[in-house]
This record gives sequence, structure tokens and C-alpha cells, in this order.
Amino acid sequence: MAAATLPSASAKVAVRNIARAVSSSQPLLLLHASSRRGRGLHPLPLAASAASQGAHLRRALSVSASAAAGGNNGAAPRAAEREYDYDLFTIGAGSGGMRASRVASALYGARAAVCEMPFATVASDALGGVGGTCVLRGCVPKKLLVYASKYSHEFEESRGFGWVYETDPKHDWRTLITNKNLELQRLVGIQTNTLKNSGVTVIEGRGKIVDPHTVSVDGKLYTAKNILVAVGGRPSKPNIPGIEHVIDSDAALDLPSRPEKIAIVGGGYIALEFAGVFNGLKSDVHVFIRQKKVLRGFDEEVRDFVAEQMSLRGVKFHIEQSPEAVTKSDDGLLSLKTNKETVSGFSHVMFATGRKPNTKNLGLEDVGVKMDEHGAIVVDEYSRTSVDSIWAVGDVTNRLNLTPVALMEAGAIARTIFGNEPTRADYSAVPSAVFSQPPIGHVGLTEDEATETYGDIDIYISNFKPLRVTLSGLPDRVFMKVIVCAKTNKVLGVHMCGEDAPEIIQGIAIAVKAGLTKQNFDSTIGVHPTTAEEFVTMRNPTRKVRRDTTAEAKTKDEAASQK
Amino acid sequence: MARKMLVDGEVAAVADAGQYDYDLFVIGAGSGGVRGSRLAASFGAKVAICELPFHPISSEWLGGHGGTCVIRGCVPKKILVYGASFRGEFEDSKNFGWEINGDINFNWKKLLENKTKEIVRLNGVYQKILTNAGVTLIEGAGSLVDAHTVEVSQPDGSKQRYTAKHILIATGSRAQRVNIPGKELAITSDEALSLEELPKRAVILGGGYIAVEFASIWRGMGAEVDLFYRRELPLRGFDDEMRAVVASNLEGRGIKLHPGTNLSELSKTADGIKVVTDKGEELIADVVLFATGRTPNSQRLNLQAAGVEVDQIGAIKVDEYSCTSAPSVWAVGDVTNRINLTPVALMEATCFAKTVFGGQQVKPDYGDVPCAVFSIPPLSVVGLNEQQALEEANSDILVFTSSFNPMKNSISNRQEKTIMKLVVDAETDRVLGASMCGPDAPEIIQGIAVALKCGATKANFDSTVGIHPSAAEEFVTMRSVTRRVSPTSKPKTNL
Repeated sequence: MAAATLPSASAKVAVRNIARAVSSSQPLLLLHASSRRGRGLHPLPLAASAASQGAHLRRALSVSASAAAGGNNGAAPRAAEREYDYDLFTIGAGSGGMRASRVASALYGARAAVCEMPFATVASDALGGVGGTCVLRGCVPKKLLVYASKYSHEFEESRGFGWVYETDPKHDWRTLITNKNLELQRLVGIQTNTLKNSGVTVIEGRGKIVDPHTVSVDGKLYTAKNILVAVGGRPSKPNIPGIEHVIDSDAALDLPSRPEKIAIVGGGYIALEFAGVFNGLKSDVHVFIRQKKVLRGFDEEVRDFVAEQMSLRGVKFHIEQSPEAVTKSDDGLLSLKTNKETVSGFSHVMFATGRKPNTKNLGLEDVGVKMDEHGAIVVDEYSRTSVDSIWAVGDVTNRLNLTPVALMEAGAIARTIFGNEPTRADYSAVPSAVFSQPPIGHVGLTEDEATETYGDIDIYISNFKPLRVTLSGLPDRVFMKVIVCAKTNKVLGVHMCGEDAPEIIQGIAIAVKAGLTKQNFDSTIGVHPTTAEEFVTMRNPTRKVRRDTTAEAKTKDEAASQK
Repeated sequence: MARKMLVDGEVAAVADAGQYDYDLFVIGAGSGGVRGSRLAASFGAKVAICELPFHPISSEWLGGHGGTCVIRGCVPKKILVYGASFRGEFEDSKNFGWEINGDINFNWKKLLENKTKEIVRLNGVYQKILTNAGVTLIEGAGSLVDAHTVEVSQPDGSKQRYTAKHILIATGSRAQRVNIPGKELAITSDEALSLEELPKRAVILGGGYIAVEFASIWRGMGAEVDLFYRRELPLRGFDDEMRAVVASNLEGRGIKLHPGTNLSELSKTADGIKVVTDKGEELIADVVLFATGRTPNSQRLNLQAAGVEVDQIGAIKVDEYSCTSAPSVWAVGDVTNRINLTPVALMEATCFAKTVFGGQQVKPDYGDVPCAVFSIPPLSVVGLNEQQALEEANSDILVFTSSFNPMKNSISNRQEKTIMKLVVDAETDRVLGASMCGPDAPEIIQGIAVALKCGATKANFDSTVGIHPSAAEEFVTMRSVTRRVSPTSKPKTNL
């Protein structure tokens, strides 16, 4: 969640939308709406009365739309409404769950409740917290640690700019963790208030589905016309000997002391982000990856580039190694045994070996909600599960596990169920970032994907020293890559690794949504002097990949990368 | 038009090589001149370029390859901004757990030395670029003899004449001083970028981007800074709301603002320069910077000899292809005083070379030109601001604003909001303008500028998934309109 999201915004939206809905509908229906007003479920009397009017108007009109979405649970016959305590009951108040219940309530006037477990920095079967992974154990605390760890690089840079330190800056881990946790607690409070101000009932406890319309929260039963499962995912570790000595990302975000020497197993974005954090805070960092390269699924050149830049900053990579055992010696230090070597002397061993949907012990099997072999809930394109009245969004469905995607899915289901508009989430051109140091931002296809789909593509690459480096003298570089369809000139993919990449790619992602061509890039004037302007000054293709000469193009590619 | 006869890319300049020494003679090797000559040469033209000898501070006889941008503008300025930004970083780092025991000192001489080293390197790079492109480099001050002849003179009085089928004037501009008693005690941005000593007390006159940037630079390096400007807010021409934000951020970072105030006199005292304002205030400064505008470098070009007209401030008048009133003489960049930005000069020069030597008639496109003010934190904008949008609009304007605490500040406790603003045409849904004041704004706005060039609608912004957690994602999550303004009504900016 962006820190910027203002609690009052949704209320404003509600009032505006409602004003429109009320003025445009027939007075006949208002009778029904006003009959419901007396319930007093909404803590915001002004917005709420308007909200429930509007919502019921909309709901009355939404029968056909919901049918189109595959069922009629969204708009059950009016008589049936009274059977349920809520229109929407959500299990899990993370990004997806909060968004869906807030929108359902504030925008559409639905009676929404959400249950969530008590707050703890490390999640378990009984602990979680309003805000979910993103706010408590993911994006937010991670980014805060990234900020903290980046300073060491900035101190180094500053020397070239004339700054002189009498003694080297030192880092106090405890200050950081204390301040981080204060911030997390503040956010839990804000999020809870945001929910309440949107008219959502917040229930503390662990939710379990009893039947297609009933959720039990620690034994207390609640009925709902629709149930939304938004319980997210959790780190998973392989079951190897000594796994009890190993920490996961939850624990890594809240360690009592800074690791002196840490082994991080995994080559995904979580592994790289933590490698950057601990390396910046001057731990001795060793990353063990099963493959030859980090970040499977990313553009090959980006994979090479980020590993090289991280190595230059001091991270040690151990490639093509699978963990086999972790042992603790008498002095308390840990050894990691892989298929190739045993490395000792670790204060910490962290596994960033994937995440699993939190679908255990939710009662899903009993009510017939289908799951895939990873335990992810299977949903249709409207996020509806195999049970008509049960929906699921976010990481628990294991589609694109990103906060903003969960938000999109949640917004879409609220609109589908309560807004008279069956809405599918749009997974095209979803940008994302890795907050490694340097960070990565990208949108669209990788070169391999583009070649496979379009055959003939033009590749524009720029690999340069940013202006900052000319004075800092550090080996930092920036990598940018634009992949263009040779036939249509459409930009298929944009990739960047280097300072500010996530911030830079966001605007370009908007351009991609607006139909970005290479000509649009070329006709845009640069903001000078910036790193980002390089994207609008890439005039000549670095290489052209053609379907019938793929072999030839590949050899050229190799030649170029060897330069 | 006569000019058309001279647009002869197809016929190729080479055919006429006998008649003139060169197909193109360029006066001034700044951003526009270098781009124009390189590109012309790549189209097969025989090109020469003249430029003054290198020096960080420009004068009648000093300049250097690279021009204002590289030697006395964008590049050195940005380097100093980087240097100055570290102070805020040190402050912010404390709550993130960093302990800096003992003093942190700032060694201005070292920064200056490293900056000059980089600029000397870039100066060499530009010379090499030109040489590699096959352009003849001539050192000296160029002026016109007639519409096809340039005279290059040296400080010792020696002169050499060259004829050319086309002449491109790209001599840029220079900082100007206000005419008050003691004005010789003040410096301009040229000197400010190369001061021997870092001032402890700096007075800046001017409310434009140069004034604001130097205020941030010196403040970041530890000086006491007093900024004087005539208006109520700095940065005239920018969105009023953003101007107010910049002003409050400058104050928040410890710069003393003196709106509606002019300087009336400077005098030398034992303690420093005594500054008297038009309100009767007096203060003592180590350095007084005039950031009071720039004037086109057109005086010494003998333009009238070729019939090249200038406007009342001395800017060379050009048509939309950058052709002057003399059909064989062209001008690009700051000397024409259109939009005085490096990337715009590059665009003008590119269009010139394509039109004259490339066989394609291309006009520069001044729509949606983004720009940045590298104050700390920076401001960046693209497209129309709210006031402009209202002037040009036929329909209502929707304004979306967001003011938020950047995530970093949640720990650092810095009290400084980031502000973003979108101006949308209510009827077409087109995003007419975007602006942002906050960390990384220039980097963020570049991508938004690309989106505007694609004709992005607000719906496109809304359908874009955010990159989380970033500041930029706020641009795609601005769901509720802040206000709707009709062209007839006045904008409500709470100013």
C-alpha cells in the first residue's frame, strides 16, 4: 500500500458516485434503499446513508451483469439478503482483502466484514495482522531496510563529491529495527482505521470456511452472501536436515541482531533483495543459487547485469548449488552443505526458496473449493472459485504475486459482485521491480518471450556510466533495453537495471498501456540531465533478431555480450 | 519562399563544394552546434565549426566545446546538486540506524577539482566526437561577413574568412546582471560553478530555476542562503501550486526566502559584501549571485551584414525550420530564445540538419516538452500546467493532486511532502499535463512524458498497474478528482 493512500479519499468517491447514482435512477427503488438505512452499520453517517442508497440501487440493477459473470450470488433475490449477516465476508486483511472490502463497502454500500489474525512480524497459523504481507512482512519493511542499507553506498559515493568523515559511519541494527517496527505498528493502526472508516467490520481472529455462506472466526459463525479468500502466501523451505536452524524472509526482516556472515539460498527477487540489504549493512553475504543465473524468468541480459553489479559491491555468488544440510557447530555458527561444497562460519542461514499459498486448514476442501498441485486456489477470470459464492484474490491464487495486482483483482471483484459490471483483471504489461542494489524495473516481454511470440524484433541497448559515477569513481553502471516489434514498431518490453529503475519504469508502463511505439520514444524530449533520458535517445538498434536467421543473430548477440 | 531553393538535400551539397569552402559552417560548438554539424556531416556535407578556447567561465574570448550545458550549465550544476544532496542523506540516515561520530566535513576544493576534471574530459569527448564525424574544428570567434561568409578572429587580431553554402548560428546565451550600484561585486552562475571558496553566507537574486538550484546547492553544502525575488513565489511560469510547494520545501531545508523583494545596492565592506534591499533591509554576504536571466549571444556576430534579424532582446528571429531572415543562415538553441533547454536545442539542430542536408523537411515539435528544476528536492513537469490548460481548454479541466509523505520520511522523520498533479481534459480524458515535486521527480517525469507523447488518457493511467513500493506509482493510483475547473471559472489553488 502506498503510504499516500488517504483514508478520506474513498469516502469522497462514495459520495460523488452515489450522487450520480441517486440522481439518475427511478424513485421507485429508493423505497427499498431507505428501508435499509436504519441498520446503522456505517460509522460515517453522512457518507454511509448515501452509500447504502446508491449501492442498493446498483444491486437491484445488477442481476444480468452478475449472471454474465457466471452466477447469481452477487445479486441474490432481495428476500434472501436478509438471511446473511454480510454481503461480503473476507478472510485476510492484506492488500487484496482490504481493497475488496473497502471498495465493496465505501463505493457500493455493501455490508462488508473482514477477519484477520493479531499482528506479529513473523506470520504463523495464528498470527498475521491488518496490512498483510505487503505492509508487515514484505514490500514495506523490505523497502525500509533497502533504504537503510543503501546509505553505505551513498557514503562511499559522497567521498568523490568532497565529503570527508573523521570516522567511518557505523550502523546500529537495533535503532533500525525499532524504528521499522514503530512504523509497522503505525501502519497497522492506519489500515485498521481505514477499514473502519470505510464502513467495514473488522473482526480479529482466524477465519475458516464452514459452508459456502458461513465463516467461523475462532468458533463464532458469520454468514455472508459472498466469501472472499485473501489469505496470501507464506515462505516455504525445503525439508533438509538442519532446516530448524534456517530463517526465512519473515524472520530476516526482524532479526535481533545484524548477521555477521549470512548464507542466502535462492536466486529469486527475495534472495537478491536481502543480499543487497545485508551487504549494504556490511554483512559478509553469500548467495547460493541452483541455476547458473539469478532471477529466472527475467531478461537474460538483465540477469547477467544485476549479478555482475552485485558482485562488484561485494556479494559472493555460489552458482549451480543445491542445499543439502545445515549444521550448527559448538560455537553456534552454521555450516551450509551443498552438492558441491560446505561453507562454514555463518551467523545466519536464510532460505528464500519460494512462497506457498496459505490454504491449509481453511476448510476449503470441505466446501469443495478446488486447488492446484501447489495448494493455490483455482479461480476463473473473475476470481471466482469452483464454489459460486466463494471468491479468491492475491497470492493465495498464485497468479501474479504482486501487491498492485492483488489490488487490481480485488477492485475487479468488488465491481463484478456489487458494481453491476463483470470485470476481469488485466494482466497485460504489468510492470514490476526488484529492489536489489542496483534495482531492476521492467514492463512487458523479455527478449526470449518477444522472439518466440513475434519472431522479428529489434533490440536497443544502452549500458553506461551514470553521471554520478564520474565523480564517485564507483563501478556502478546502468543497463537499459528496449525490445521493439520489427513489423509494427510497437514496444514489446522495456528493461532497466540501475539507480531509480523502479521509479523510471512506472511512467514508461503507462506509455505501454497507451500503445507505445519506438517513434513515441524517439519523439519525446529528454529531461536533462537524467538517467531516464537515455530511454528517449536510443537511436540505433543494437541488433535485429529475425526469425529465419535466428542462429546468426544469436552469434552476434554473444559477440556483443563478450565486449 | 527563397529558403526552399536552398533546401537541397536531394541535390546533395557535394555538388556545390567547389563554390564554397564548406557546405555548412557552424558558429558555436554547444549542444545545438555539435548536433547540427555531426548530423550534417553524417548526411555527407562538408562541415566546419568554430568555437572559443575552453574555460569554465565564458567571456568574449572564452567558451569551449560542449557549450553551456556541459561546461557552465546542466552538467556541472547537476554534479554540485549531487554533492549538496548528501547533507540531507546524512540527516535522514540517522533514524535508519547510522551513526556518524566525529565531524563530517565538506571539501569544496575537492568537489570543484573533480567537477573540473570531468568537464575537461567531456570537452575532449565533444572535440573527438566532432573530429570522428569528419567535422573541421576551428578555434576563434566567428562572425558574419555576408550570408555565405564567416570571419573567425583571434584575440591577437588575426582573422580568417571561410565561405559556406549554409551557416548555422548556435552561440547560445549568457548570464546577465541587473544594473544596480555595486553590480560588479556580484557573480553570475558561471562563476558560481567555479568559486575558489565555498561561501558561508550567500545572497541570491532571482526567482528562476537557476536561482532556486544554487540556493539548494549552497544550502546543502552548509551555507546560510537568502533568496530574493520579485514575485510572491519563485519559478514564474510553472504551475502555481507547485511553485508554492517548492517555496515551502526550500524554507523547510533552511533557505531564507524574501518574496517581493529586490536588491538595490551592493557595497564592499571589511566583513563581506553589504547588500541593501529595496525594503531597506541590510545584510552581509560572502557571495552575491545574480540569477536574473540570460541574454542571447548575438551582439558580436555582425548579424546585420547578412540581414539576419533579431528581436528586442537580441534573440535571432527564425521560422519554424530554424531559418533566419537570411535564407542561407540558420539558428538553433538559446540564441533563438524559444525553449531554452539542451534537449530542445538538440531537437532543433536535428530538424535543421535533416531539413537542409537530409532530404526530409522536419519541424521541431514543441508539444509536451518535459523539464526539471534540480532544486532539493526537485520539481519536474511536462505538458500544460493548470493555468495554461484553462487558457487553452474548450472543456472543463479535471485536476488530480496527491500530497503524501514519501516512505523514506516515515523513518527519517523529514517533514517534506511529495506532491503530484495531473491535469486532464474532462471531455477527451487526455492527460494534458503532469507535474511532481519530490525526490526523483525528473527521473519519474521522463516516462510520463513518453506516455503523454503516446496520447495517454487518464484511463490509461488508471489501467496501469503500479510498481510497488515506489513514489511513481502514485501517478497511476490517483482515483478521485481533486477539483473540476471550468475555463470560465478561476482555478482554486489556495494561493
